[in-house]
Amino acid sequence: MYALRDLLGEMSLCRSAESIRKGKPVPTVTIDGCKVRVKKDATILDAAKKAGIWIPTLCYHPAVSSEASCRLCMVELDRGEWRQLVTACNYPVRRDIVVYVSSERAQQARRGVMELLLARAPESEELKALAERMGVKETRYPNVTESQRNCILCGLCVQVCEEIIGKAAIGFAGRGAERVVAAPFRQPSEDCIGCGACAAICPVGTIKVRFHKEEQEVEISPFKSRAKLLVCQECGALITSTLVNEQALTKANLNSEEFRARLRLCPKCRRLQTVAQLGAVTFRKK
Amino acid sequence: MTVLSNKRLNSISDLDDMRKELLSLRSPSAKSVHVCTGPGCAAKGSPKLYELFCEAAQQADADVEIIPKAVGCHGLCEYGPIVLIQPGDIFYQRVEEPDVAEIFRETVVGGRLVERLLYENPVTGQKAETVDKIPFYKVQKRIALAYNGLVDPTKITDYIALGGYSALAKVLSSMTDEDVISEVETAGLRGRGGGGFPTARKWRSCKEAEGSPRYVICNGDEGDPGAFMDRAIMEGNPHSVIEGMLIGAYAIGSSDGYIYVRNEYPLSVERLKLAIEQAKELGLLGENILGSSFSFDIRINRGAGAFVCGESTALMASLQGRTGEPRAKYIHTVESGLWEKPTNLNNVETWANVPAIINGGGKSFASIGTEKSKGTKVFSLVGKVVNSGLVEVPMGMTLRQIIDEVGGGIRDGKRFKAVQTGGPSGGCIPEEHLDARVDFDELTKLGSMMGSGGMIVMDEDTCMVNVAKYFTNFLQKESCGKCTPCREGLSQMLYILDRITDGEGQAGDLERLEELAELLEGTALCALGKTAANPTMSTIRYFRDEYEAHIKEKRCPAKECRGLFRYEIDSEACKACGICLKNCPVGAITGEKKVAHVIDQEKCTLCGICWEKCPFAAVLKV
Repeated sequence: MYALRDLLGEMSLCRSAESIRKGKPVPTVTIDGCKVRVKKDATILDAAKKAGIWIPTLCYHPAVSSEASCRLCMVELDRGEWRQLVTACNYPVRRDIVVYVSSERAQQARRGVMELLLARAPESEELKALAERMGVKETRYPNVTESQRNCILCGLCVQVCEEIIGKAAIGFAGRGAERVVAAPFRQPSEDCIGCGACAAICPVGTIKVRFHKEEQEVEISPFKSRAKLLVCQECGALITSTLVNEQALTKANLNSEEFRARLRLCPKCRRLQTVAQLGAVTFRKK
Repeated sequence: MTVLSNKRLNSISDLDDMRKELLSLRSPSAKSVHVCTGPGCAAKGSPKLYELFCEAAQQADADVEIIPKAVGCHGLCEYGPIVLIQPGDIFYQRVEEPDVAEIFRETVVGGRLVERLLYENPVTGQKAETVDKIPFYKVQKRIALAYNGLVDPTKITDYIALGGYSALAKVLSSMTDEDVISEVETAGLRGRGGGGFPTARKWRSCKEAEGSPRYVICNGDEGDPGAFMDRAIMEGNPHSVIEGMLIGAYAIGSSDGYIYVRNEYPLSVERLKLAIEQAKELGLLGENILGSSFSFDIRINRGAGAFVCGESTALMASLQGRTGEPRAKYIHTVESGLWEKPTNLNNVETWANVPAIINGGGKSFASIGTEKSKGTKVFSLVGKVVNSGLVEVPMGMTLRQIIDEVGGGIRDGKRFKAVQTGGPSGGCIPEEHLDARVDFDELTKLGSMMGSGGMIVMDEDTCMVNVAKYFTNFLQKESCGKCTPCREGLSQMLYILDRITDGEGQAGDLERLEELAELLEGTALCALGKTAANPTMSTIRYFRDEYEAHIKEKRCPAKECRGLFRYEIDSEACKACGICLKNCPVGAITGEKKVAHVIDQEKCTLCGICWEKCPFAAVLKV
């Protein structure tokens, strides 16, 4: 179950074939003086990665679309007469641009956002670690919003459930400071298959997968959704949610030559290929 | 008339013929009674007045034809319900049900004035018989609201008789898409919804964007507290919006239009629906409009009550049936908007200006206004002014003129303190800047904005910290919560403002507010968040001393924040009547007959009942 976290990390969005096609302009991005060339419509974040410059992110994940909701990856874009703060994760590079990641204003913006997040989710170790890496030791703000404990509402769980798993078992409920991630009517969801993709993608460790050995059930916390577990007929070990198994079976063609070929792979590589088939993702070998 | 309304217009000459026929059917001696049924007058019972006029007209056996009309907002809502008698432009204000018979007998039939119902100038005491003699209307210039109050919004024939859809006919018969865009460009029209983006540039970008179909949207999700500019247009003259959209769609190359109206405006929805139906029947909407190759249809979508849906990307998400939340606009909606197709969105007032620009020419429109802000702007002038209501003034008029000349100055002889423009995300402008001209860029320079045209006037009794708190609270409640700075930052700002108005402000609070404001402006996802700190920032900028009085001296100079002032009885003014003593719920007031009363500050809970009840104004806030 927990291997999914690593798996998602190895996925990358299938870039549309169009933009890779040769002959398209290849803009240059100058990040803190470092020049890199990226394909058109790549993001500033892509360019920064290529340049080896770290920009902190929370709501960004290559497997899902960029919503830019956390606002942590703010960088300064040179507009000629003025500079504009933009989010690196979804700003599309369409022409030559000059970007500042370590300018005073960009750093201040990122730290300000981080302080607000720390005030909201003060207990998350993952968040604290990221803050420290950014040079934010503590927040000056009190904890005034907490619609959901330790959740920064980045929305990755909602996106992965809809875009990759295809279930949309969870979504946002409430507005503004009341916003929470929940299943409909804040009841356990009947659509949840207990795959744990939401827990795997959660950047602050708020969503947890719990195994209930006696009931032979898996629970996704804090959504309280449960699914029956498949039990090894030989040794009685808990394997995975039965619903995940079913979904995998409907998606995989068991009689195909491809499947037979896959049986010749080791379990890890086999898993990677299966996951790659589940959604619009490509499998990239390290 | 009934024969006419069922006829489909297959050419431009059909439209001209219809107009001629409509005009010829009007008896030159006919008298019409225009009863305002705009939001303000309707709330004061004007629909009943209209019914009574209809009954009276039916029963009357006068020789002349009498046409009662329920029309849209006249603007001077303060003096509603308003009844206008044509010809003659006779303006009656504060008309009540018993007045109907008198107006009918005296003015409509008899041709005499009913003196007591005329508008009286509060300064000179002079009566104004006609509209143009009322100072409120003198300096106004009506383009978007031109037909409001003249046409019956439920009758397309009324609009056509006055020249309606002639701009569309002109466009279809003699202009190319580029001609239309150039004309709007010459006019210098900028978006009336808040951003002030040049309309022609938006249209051109959308026209040139790749992809089809292209969509045209009218944003009628007017959510600013106290604002009803767009509502008045949608309810008073819906065809001007439809005609504007038709012309825009022709220029952009779109055949699908949407009007997004907030569901809190049921009458707007009804009027627009009816207008669309009538336009379709006549062939002014639908396939091959006026026999040309141009086709365009409009659908209405009702909003579900979120302020943020006035933001273009949130509106489009809502139109698609998704949660109304904004998205990044690094790729503009003219390129990828509704269903990821090129989409052009303008607000109601912008669309309503378009037919006038085509009819009168861009140059004539551009002759009104300032260098970079052309034409007129509709404002809903509310708050502590004498004449609250809906006004349309040329751009470049000073705020002082609007407040003093149109608005008639401050109520009850109080002193002016500030004017809040631009809706909840706007700012407060103090007296020293009252000579600033109403212009997109000038208002932005002052830390406020044009917005969609809300204008709230405040007097000396208004606490500016409380104002900032009110708007911050509104925006915090209306924030969608998607992005961190808006959701968390506004909550933090509200927390600090709450603390200050409770008398628990701390040293450094102003700096914290300023820092949060800067963060919001720089990092929030959409315009709501980016401008959400404006109320706080503009009040700190111009009324810093008031904030400091709250924080350092625990005192509210305007005496509005409960707990930051005391109630005392002026012993000279007190007549020892005992009313305050009887009404005090905690027994904090002592006194005897003929002895001035005293408030025990220890016991007083600052409820303010004594202040409200005292008939001699002897209870003071200190």
